[in-house]
Amino acid sequence: MTAQLGEWLDERFGWKRVWELIFLRKIPKVNWLYTLGSATLFVAVNQIVTGILLTIYYVPTPDHAYDSVQYITSQVPAGWLIRGLHHWGASAMVVLVVIHMIRVILYGSYKYPREVTWLTGVFLLLTVLGFGFTGYLLPWDQKAYWATTVGTRIAGVMPVIGDSILKMLRGGTDLSAVTLARFYGGHVWFLPVALTGLILVHLYLVIRIGISATPERGE
Amino acid sequence: MALEPRMGRRDFLSLATWAIGGLIAAAYAIPGVAYLIGPALQKAAAQNWISLGLKTKVPIGTPTLFQATIQKQTGWIVNQDEISVYVLTEDGRDYIAMSNVCTHLGCRVRWVDDQGEFFCPCHNGIYDRQGNVISGPPPRSLDRYQVQVQGDELQILGG
Repeated sequence: MTAQLGEWLDERFGWKRVWELIFLRKIPKVNWLYTLGSATLFVAVNQIVTGILLTIYYVPTPDHAYDSVQYITSQVPAGWLIRGLHHWGASAMVVLVVIHMIRVILYGSYKYPREVTWLTGVFLLLTVLGFGFTGYLLPWDQKAYWATTVGTRIAGVMPVIGDSILKMLRGGTDLSAVTLARFYGGHVWFLPVALTGLILVHLYLVIRIGISATPERGE
Repeated sequence: MALEPRMGRRDFLSLATWAIGGLIAAAYAIPGVAYLIGPALQKAAAQNWISLGLKTKVPIGTPTLFQATIQKQTGWIVNQDEISVYVLTEDGRDYIAMSNVCTHLGCRVRWVDDQGEFFCPCHNGIYDRQGNVISGPPPRSLDRYQVQVQGDELQILGG
């Protein structure tokens, strides 16, 4: 019955071939360090799922942000878990993308013909750091406020254009409701769109070109 | 001849992958659903006795409007809410307190003294002075509060 339904759908979707190409493709004999990309992808999915859930209760304005986060943590069923997963997942994300990058460097996997995969990976790393920077402000507690004050000030010390960058980041000269709103918009719209697009290209290249084998001595 | 294993290594790993994947999906889905339907699971807030005013303000046989302020918590925000309550006594001893919220779709009813009935302007719902439906769309009589008299003071249970 299920097999028949599968056949019926396959005739119309042609998914079996795609499934085989993605999940049953031949790969060289590699080690566990080659799973870091998949681990990152798993945590990224975790961030997307828990992040979408958090927007149900979170309110990004100075008079509600802190209270709504406290409400999620202490009142909403499993709210502590959803927020905890998002919080710790954010740190895991940064750690994983960095050691994934180190693996790629040490094994020389960035070389021809995988330069574009590497390049999209660099932008993915920057996107993840952007997520970390914008997301850190959202709980609107003392740590968030001062971390963002310092972080935007660092961007502001750049010669000539520093002041403009600072005003662009803060939405004015001071940290305010405007800052919180644009960090939130960046965190839930701009960066997720960038992340999704980059992941699709990155994964397409990983599957299309195939992954690199572990380098041999003298290679 | 070696026994043919019932399940090969490949099939076992495939099954294990699906099973672990299913467990992980459930580990997200169950708290996720609880998180989303949380507001529907919340118990009604505790009720307190709220002071309305002096019972001597209520003439016998005429519903009289009282206003009270209650604290209402929605999410993390505590609001002051004004509620309006009609109080009626037929004999000066027993009091009934009625909400002025129409049981049809939540508009506010008002007491029309000339007709001797409550009137809801939204869809012409009409109630008698005890709050029973006379005509129009309301499905039931006006909601009542529990009343108690402390000395000369009228109190209702709400919150």
